[in-house]
Amino acid sequence: MGDQSTQSSILEVKSVRKTYKLGRVKVPVLHGVDLTVHHKEWITILGASGSGKSTLMHLIGGLDRPDRYPEDPASIVYGDRVITSLGAKALDRYRSTEVGFVFQFYHLLPELDVLGNVCIGAMIRHGRWGYVSNRRSVEKRAKELLERFGLSERIKHRPAELSGGERQRVAIARALINEPAMLLADEPTGNLDLKTGESILEVLAELQRDSGLTMVMVTHDERIAARADRVIRLLDGRVQEQTAPQSV
Amino acid sequence: MIVYTRSVYQALLTKKYLTSKLMPILAMLAVMLSVATILITWSVMGGFLKTLVNSGRSLIGDVTVSWPNVGFAHYDELIGMLEEDELVEGATPIIETFGLIQLPDDRIELITIKGIDVQSYNRVTNYEDTIWWKPIDEPTAKDKDASDVRLEPDYTQAMEMFRSNAMTLTRRNPESGITEQAGVLGVEVTGLNVRTHDGIYDPRSFGFRALPDGGVERVPGFMPAGGSVGLTVLSLDSTGKPVDPVTRTIPIANEFQSGIYEIDTSTIFVPLDVMQEMLRLDEARKVEVVENPFATEIDPETGQRRPKRSEVIGIDPARVTTVLVKAKEGANLQQVRDRVYAIYQLFEDKHKGEVPSSFSMDNQIRTWEEMNATMINAVKKETGLVLFIFGIVSFTSVFLVLAIFWSMVSEKTKDIGILRALGASTPGVAWLWIRYGTAIGLIGATVGTAVGIAVVRNINGIHDWLGETFNLVIWDPRTYYFIEIPHEVEIPKAVIVFVVGVLTCVLGSLIPAFRSARMDPVKALRFE
Ligand SMILES: Nc1ncnc2c1ncn2[C@@H]1O[C@H](COP(=O)(O)OP(=O)(O)OP(=O)(O)O)[C@@H](O)[C@H]1O
Ligand SMILES: [Mg+2]
Repeated sequence: MGDQSTQSSILEVKSVRKTYKLGRVKVPVLHGVDLTVHHKEWITILGASGSGKSTLMHLIGGLDRPDRYPEDPASIVYGDRVITSLGAKALDRYRSTEVGFVFQFYHLLPELDVLGNVCIGAMIRHGRWGYVSNRRSVEKRAKELLERFGLSERIKHRPAELSGGERQRVAIARALINEPAMLLADEPTGNLDLKTGESILEVLAELQRDSGLTMVMVTHDERIAARADRVIRLLDGRVQEQTAPQSV
Repeated sequence: MIVYTRSVYQALLTKKYLTSKLMPILAMLAVMLSVATILITWSVMGGFLKTLVNSGRSLIGDVTVSWPNVGFAHYDELIGMLEEDELVEGATPIIETFGLIQLPDDRIELITIKGIDVQSYNRVTNYEDTIWWKPIDEPTAKDKDASDVRLEPDYTQAMEMFRSNAMTLTRRNPESGITEQAGVLGVEVTGLNVRTHDGIYDPRSFGFRALPDGGVERVPGFMPAGGSVGLTVLSLDSTGKPVDPVTRTIPIANEFQSGIYEIDTSTIFVPLDVMQEMLRLDEARKVEVVENPFATEIDPETGQRRPKRSEVIGIDPARVTTVLVKAKEGANLQQVRDRVYAIYQLFEDKHKGEVPSSFSMDNQIRTWEEMNATMINAVKKETGLVLFIFGIVSFTSVFLVLAIFWSMVSEKTKDIGILRALGASTPGVAWLWIRYGTAIGLIGATVGTAVGIAVVRNINGIHDWLGETFNLVIWDPRTYYFIEIPHEVEIPKAVIVFVVGVLTCVLGSLIPAFRSARMDPVKALRFE
């Protein structure tokens, strides 16, 4: 990649700390994370188990809030929105329109079929009447995505009837239904065998390349990390180093 | 910034959760059962009270003026005064007393005798409607296969005659051809009319009378066609004391069914003048024994002089024990009672010393409610108690729904986390569960109300079936006064029970809904 400083940033994370409380015991996980993600960039976050990778993803995705230290305020800025100071409603809106989540364990809704699982994000986004009027275009997009991921034959199936790889592809389609600018993938291949993982990764890489998606991906796997534009290592709750992948 | 609380996803998930799990079916069943039980209990108990009230009222009249045993005189005048009042629809004199009845099979039973003046009695009560043997055009409600003899064209003429006999309290003696004064008997008195499960009577053509030699003899079974009973009362002396037994044979003109078992097993209507004669409450000349042994008078028949034994000193007018008053439609009963009392005071002024004083009459003029206060209150209390108990029982269904929802929310924790990650708001997630609870409530309460209504409508059939199949008789007419279990559902009651049933579920889902809304989405996602 070229000179990164000239690229505009989509996400800026500053002094983010997170401490969990287990009863009286405080478990500090993040000790001040600083991170900048650029538009249409693919970065991977590497780190040992328990280093706080998922925690960071949840914070970026607006599912959780960082600790508050008035003397050193944490901030997560997405575009022109300060995520850390958004109200509950604005945060819900942010999650539904700007980011797409992909999880290690797929997290599909077991009662819904494949199409329902993909469309549910759009249902949440549009409200009752909005969805009724957008239904056609939403279902069209869902079917396009599923076809692109080779799942057109599986539209009526329940998640339990799908393989792990298929489930993860459904989850990716779900994450993309509202056309988010940023995809947050927390170990998307962590639960899959090498070959399936590879194909999922291919799908994601292609998406990022073709649709200009900004992608933040958590992984354990150095080889996967190598494919990204940039690699970030978390150690002891801090960003230890940022490297270009070719140095790995 | 628009964030939608209500959305399509809640409808979709509600539908999917409802159809793919056993738990919601159990919750619906619980709601259905409690809604149905409460509706059935309330309808039957309420119907019981209402029937009691209506039947009681129709036979007793709205307000009664009574002076037991000796009765009171000049009642025609009182009735005339009453009927002039704008609150009064009509009034009728009756004599109420007790006696012994000798049935065709020689059984002797205690009986309530009502001496009535048919025309005015029919105006004040619904006497004509209670007459059983009369031609009818359509089978009664429960008579599915139209097996009622009253429907048969062959009998129409006879039935018409029985009806007109009942309306005149007479019967033509087939042998002598003379029209005799007759009585109308409660349909359950003789035991010779068999009540079928269809709620109609099948008269036996004959009964049996035990003979002293151990044999039996046939006696006529169908009373209106030739049956008679013996009636024995104690006649009153001039001071009103019962003295001599008087027995008379009374032909039976017809039979009546009031629907109140108590009345139908032990009441006979006879003409008022027959009762007045038997009890010596009829108009009589007041005489005095002449002390002077040499006094004479002219015999009006022969025109000859004869020794004078007694002297007429006045006329003792005829008496009745009771005057029944029917109030105008919609009139306040207590007001009518007070008006009747006021009229009685005027009446007493005219006949000072001849009729009971208004002071002692004050608590003898009563509304039918006051007369039946103990019974009505007992039933009201019983209804309240039963409803209270069922209310508590149903309240547990709130907890049942709560428990079921709680466990469903726990089970669906991960779904909640996923929905939140996809942008669902906290009120949106809460609404999912409230909606779900409402759906369960609506379905459960709808089915429950339908089942309740169906059971109440067919309760007598169900009861008969239970009796036939399991020998289980819950409703004994002897205990409950009524021949039939009340089987009407009042729409407002059904609506209330339905709404409360739905609210129960909404209430039961509220706490789990709040819990799901307060759930930390990250923890929910990590939930295994
Ligand atoms: N709710 C919580 N309460 C207390 N501690 C927590 C909670 N959630 C996470 N932690 C702790 O925070 C630390 C970081 O967790 P996190 O899931 O972010 O790690 P991770 O880097 O994603 O690990 P992995 O690679 O295994 O997924 C862990 O030590 C974990 O035990
Ligand atoms: Mg993790």
